[in-house]
Amino acid sequence: MKRILWSVLFSVGIAVHLGLVPVSAAADDGEAFFERMVRPILVEHCYQCHSGVNSEGGLLLDSHAGWRKGGETGASIVPGRPDDSLLIKAVRYNDDGLKMPPEEAGGRLTDEQIAALEQWVRIGAPDPRDTATKLGGMSVADAKTWWAFQPLPMADPEPSSAKIDQIIDRKLADVSITPTEPADKRTLLRRATYDLTGLPPTPAEVDAFLADRSPDAFAKVIDRLLDSPQYGIHWGRHWLDVVRYADTAGENTDRPLPHAWRYRNWVFESFNGDRPFDEFVRLQLAGDLIRSNSSDQDRNEGLIATGYLAIARRYGHDIDKQAYLMHEDVIDNLGKNLLGLTTGCSRCHDHKYDPITMEDYYALYGIFESTRFAFPGCEPKGQPRDLVPLLSPAQIDARMKPWEEQVARAKAEQEKLEQAAKRLLELRADSLQHIIPKTMVGEGARVPIKIVNVKLRKGEVLQLTVFPNGSHGADTTRIEWKIQEVGDDGRSWSVEDLIPVISRGNPLDVGDEARWCFLESTAGPAFLTQRLDSLPEHASLKAWKRSGDALSIFVNTDDQPVNVWTSLPAKAFFVHPEHNRPVAVALVSPIDGLANVSGAVTDVHPSGGDGVSFELAHIASPDYGEGLVELGGNSSSADIDPGPKPKIPVAYAVVDAKPINARFQRRGDPEQLGDEIPRRWLSVFGGEEIATSEESGRRELADWIAENPLTARVIVNRLWQWHFGRGLVATPNNFGSRGELPSHPELLEWLAAEFVANGYRMKKMHRLIMRTAAYQRSSRMMLPSIETDPDNRFLGRFSRRRLRAEEIRDSLLVFAGQLDPTPAEAHPFPDESTWTFTQHDPFNAVYETNKRSAFLMVQRQRRHPFLALFDGADPNASTPARQTSTVPTQALYFLNDPFFHAQAAALADRLAEFEDVDERLEQAYRLIFQRSPTEGERATGANFLRQYPAEAAEKWRAFARVLLASNECVHVD
Amino acid sequence: MLNTSKYPCGQTRREFVWRMGHGVAGLAMADLLFRDGFFRTSALAADSDETLNPLAPKPPQIMPRAKACIFLTMNGAPSQVDTFDYKPELEKYAGQPLPADRKYINSGGRKVGYLTPAWRKFRPGGESGLLISDYFPNVREHADKLCVLNSCHTDSHAHGSALVAMNTGKTLIGRPSLGSWAVYGLGTENENLPGYVVILDKRGGPISGQPNWGGGFMPATFSGTLFRPVGDPILDLRGPGHMTPQAQREQLDLLARLNERHLDERPGGRELAARMNSYELAYRMQSATPEAVDLSGETQATLDMYGVGRQPTDEFGRNCLIARRLVERGVRFIQLYSGGGHLEETWDAHAGIESNHGQHGAEVDQPIAALLTDLERRSLLDDTLVIWGGEFGRMPFSEGKDAPGRNHNPYGFTMWLAGAGVKGGMRYGKTDEFGFEAVENKIHLHDLHATILHIMGLDHELLTYFHQGREESLTDVGGEVIHDILG
Repeated sequence: MKRILWSVLFSVGIAVHLGLVPVSAAADDGEAFFERMVRPILVEHCYQCHSGVNSEGGLLLDSHAGWRKGGETGASIVPGRPDDSLLIKAVRYNDDGLKMPPEEAGGRLTDEQIAALEQWVRIGAPDPRDTATKLGGMSVADAKTWWAFQPLPMADPEPSSAKIDQIIDRKLADVSITPTEPADKRTLLRRATYDLTGLPPTPAEVDAFLADRSPDAFAKVIDRLLDSPQYGIHWGRHWLDVVRYADTAGENTDRPLPHAWRYRNWVFESFNGDRPFDEFVRLQLAGDLIRSNSSDQDRNEGLIATGYLAIARRYGHDIDKQAYLMHEDVIDNLGKNLLGLTTGCSRCHDHKYDPITMEDYYALYGIFESTRFAFPGCEPKGQPRDLVPLLSPAQIDARMKPWEEQVARAKAEQEKLEQAAKRLLELRADSLQHIIPKTMVGEGARVPIKIVNVKLRKGEVLQLTVFPNGSHGADTTRIEWKIQEVGDDGRSWSVEDLIPVISRGNPLDVGDEARWCFLESTAGPAFLTQRLDSLPEHASLKAWKRSGDALSIFVNTDDQPVNVWTSLPAKAFFVHPEHNRPVAVALVSPIDGLANVSGAVTDVHPSGGDGVSFELAHIASPDYGEGLVELGGNSSSADIDPGPKPKIPVAYAVVDAKPINARFQRRGDPEQLGDEIPRRWLSVFGGEEIATSEESGRRELADWIAENPLTARVIVNRLWQWHFGRGLVATPNNFGSRGELPSHPELLEWLAAEFVANGYRMKKMHRLIMRTAAYQRSSRMMLPSIETDPDNRFLGRFSRRRLRAEEIRDSLLVFAGQLDPTPAEAHPFPDESTWTFTQHDPFNAVYETNKRSAFLMVQRQRRHPFLALFDGADPNASTPARQTSTVPTQALYFLNDPFFHAQAAALADRLAEFEDVDERLEQAYRLIFQRSPTEGERATGANFLRQYPAEAAEKWRAFARVLLASNECVHVD
Repeated sequence: MLNTSKYPCGQTRREFVWRMGHGVAGLAMADLLFRDGFFRTSALAADSDETLNPLAPKPPQIMPRAKACIFLTMNGAPSQVDTFDYKPELEKYAGQPLPADRKYINSGGRKVGYLTPAWRKFRPGGESGLLISDYFPNVREHADKLCVLNSCHTDSHAHGSALVAMNTGKTLIGRPSLGSWAVYGLGTENENLPGYVVILDKRGGPISGQPNWGGGFMPATFSGTLFRPVGDPILDLRGPGHMTPQAQREQLDLLARLNERHLDERPGGRELAARMNSYELAYRMQSATPEAVDLSGETQATLDMYGVGRQPTDEFGRNCLIARRLVERGVRFIQLYSGGGHLEETWDAHAGIESNHGQHGAEVDQPIAALLTDLERRSLLDDTLVIWGGEFGRMPFSEGKDAPGRNHNPYGFTMWLAGAGVKGGMRYGKTDEFGFEAVENKIHLHDLHATILHIMGLDHELLTYFHQGREESLTDVGGEVIHDILG
């Protein structure tokens, strides 16, 4: 039964696709007339208020029964008698109390349309809509005639901007609106530059354009701007609004997406490279499949493009359990974004207004259930997985193998050393004598050492070990340590002598028979193997440490004290134990006889409260010293640092999983599964099933969407909106029956057809649109059009707009001379291995940058404070058009914000390079407003600068703030 | 605004302010215009005009009972059976498990223990004799003002999403909060202050953060303004120290002149005029906001009553007193959080009811009682709605044998209302004998929200905002006003 229905719908869909109007052969002429002339009028102009669950005035016009019953004012049609039919009275627009459709729903029908309705009533109002086969919220027959689903007209063989103007001007004449005069060149340049790049024009660009009197001067400007890499960043950001791009996942811990930036940048590059839009769409939906057999670079690009799907929002605590919500987000976004259809509405019920069923929803759902999405991690499942490597297995091997080998070698060597150290430990246990047992050195104290007549044999070891105490705060310890051979011509050795030569090695042989060893002695002796010949910012400090640890042994070679975390005395030797990690200096004795030991241990960083401890040990085994030196030699030669694990570049992307059909979820509840729904395209467009059983179906889906005329309509409407501030369809995410009808249907069709014919190239469309007179009009508001068309639907003027959040911030950086126009890459997120984000302690950060604001890190759960304040895009849902709110907290930003003040100060510094007040004013105005100040403005400015109660530099900063806060700065005419 | 617009986008035709020739010269032009009633008259002439000032006061949809609302949010979820929902059966069944036929999600997979009676004694308060426990001895004195809703239930057992639901109606983030709907529907009475103010606990914000007071898909205008618990109450409220008020005034005067000239060349630029206006509002906000939170003008007796200057009441006492001051100054919706940050820093009493509620109860009991006294004394209580409650409740059983804490419970919990003509000294709805789940006159979040909006003069079915093809509302497709509790 279900199958039969599908096949019916299928054939209907195909018919729609081919542009046929399948009227039954048996239908009489009256019904044919209804189908051809009447139904389209009703669907397009009446259904919005008079169909389905909407019955304004109690009237339904979507069925025979509906109009026969009529509304609150009685039957709407008397068959055969147009003059007695309320519907005809209403559409004639003669009766002041009854005019339909109302102005705001498009106003009076055309004379031809009214005549058609009259004719229809006259012939008895034949209406076959008695048993409407419903497809979601529309009858199948209505869906067939829905304007947005129709094939595109033939493209104009000679497209030109003038054709666009013809359509607009005709409409303006219809509504008796006189368009404004063309904008002046300065205004036009500012408009075009912000429009295409999101940045202000430079004074030099203004000069060049004003000087260029050639007829194609503006065309050249458009070309120059389209060639700028800033174009792709600005227009790519428009796209990111629609796809609700974010740098975090949105689940309970709002985990960072450290690799999402690749998709972001790919979008920017795609715009800059004028990638055909159909390819742009296909790659985002199925780049992994389409490019699977391509070159490495193309393959990677295909993977990165699927970031569009991967950045879907994640939900809840364990995001795997709420995957159905992620799928809804995907289906909802691709519907609104690409098709202008609210497909997400059909998760729990058939669409209420549009021809989309729950089966349709779960048919698409299966495609995404057959797809493996990169996993960002979540609280119960810590780290990310299923990120897609951008290297082939062989390339990954090539990077990983050498490192893994190094790791193995380092491990083997380490084991050998541990064995040797273990032998030494045994030796030490048998021969250890404490000359000075463990002794406290109080906070900031100095404990002297003086021991006479220690009996030593050559090769035995004297070892001075410094221990941390409980608080391990006072760790920098100075040692002075001298060993004096007893006898008339006794030799002596001292750590002070090591200061200039400490970098020579460890063990350190300074050519006087003694050998020194610098050790960490947590368990057995371990040599400090990393040498630092100087410390950053403190060239006179040299050190030894173990890799990964803090400094353990270091010296100040300078004859002046050095201030670091504490003041380090001149020419001194330090030991720096850390928590649970004593550090030792050992001398392998060159003496056979008696020695006196002297010196001191000093806590030179009094901060932890409990000082340090030390001990002096004598390891009375000649073998120990030799063993220690040998261990040292092996340690340095075996000091294999495999380095950090090589990073394999990955994309936050999707790939195919095992292909499966999804099961229907009753009322959208994933616990209540119903029948399996084959993966297929929306039934209203034919319902074609996935052909291959090996793939998810994204490849076919990409084709279906890219080739659908609706997709072209939706994107050209967006292009129009991003240029003019308002789409021809004012609901850019909704081309369904609840969306607004196009203000200029003919123009939308023309543009869409042209777009397809020109190979889906955006830049051609920009040229076509921007070269129109409509684009170049003044924004001046004039009576009476301001009253007849306050929203400027008919484009009698250009709509003034406030700058978008990103444009405001970027402009401030430009005026301050601080903008870094190069693209950013990854955000400075903490390394994945350190993530411990929880619901109670979610990820939260704001990263400052002087790059363009399109590169700011966008978080889902905590809005970026600046972007939120100035109506930035919603990172949780598709933003079809930015709002423009005006609130006092925005004004507070322009009065008091530190970033704003900093940019104004930097601008004032730039101005200060010019000598006199007049020249500075000139420069400021040219920079910010692209014009010279008037005489009045010069006087006002000079007056302010005289009176403002502050020193000279601050006067200019204050003046800069006022200019930057002004309406002229943040609005584009 | 109302769902009467025929336009899908909710746009109605805008009346146009036409400025012929030169505008009114002056420093604070927009301000003057306002005082002249210039904009206001035009705005009134329009069927709906939100361009110039979306926060301008709007007439309520139905007879309002409250002009303002104070929502005392007990973040972390207080236990109903230990505070406002007395269950003597728990004493009888103490030490036994909850009967097996009661099904629930064991939030966080914690240990399931045994039925445990209230940790503090319940006693009758007021003439009504409402039973309230010793965690709230001061609030108990106001029993006759309280309408205790014992049968609340909600859609999530996790703090983050449940609090988002308590604030926005749904567990998923991205929708406007209750305060946003109120300000969207009613505007604000004092444009020098934000219409919707949120004050968090110094220990931190609720774990699901900003979405709890965000405007969702509404413009930023309707978002809650966070009064920061330390430092200046609003971000960027104060400039660098060297900038004197006089210096700032000079800058604003110059700015007004530049903008005036700019507007003169662009007649009809109402969005330009609105932005000029916003600078003057911001300028006044700089002084009005610190004034509103400055308690130095309050008498010592008042400060003492709220427990200001003493621990543990100082912080919440201050916030309650600020809330009263904000109500006096025409702020529409004020939300105070008790509990912030993690676990025991909130009302999330897993580790122990007595230790947790003992601490948090002592922090808020006296301040809340003082707020009720103070509002009443100043005749503000009649048109101020006070709401008390958390995002859900707690289980009647412990988290293990002799364990002193309780786990999350979305199935039955208590909130109370006071003021604004709500019937006092009464209970509405019931939980079962254990206080486990609501069984009688159940109140879903949507019902609560519908009732709150109703009290404020808004019809939850008519108060809609058109977003992405759909008329959105706070209560979505559900919610019924609880008429039985309205006086």
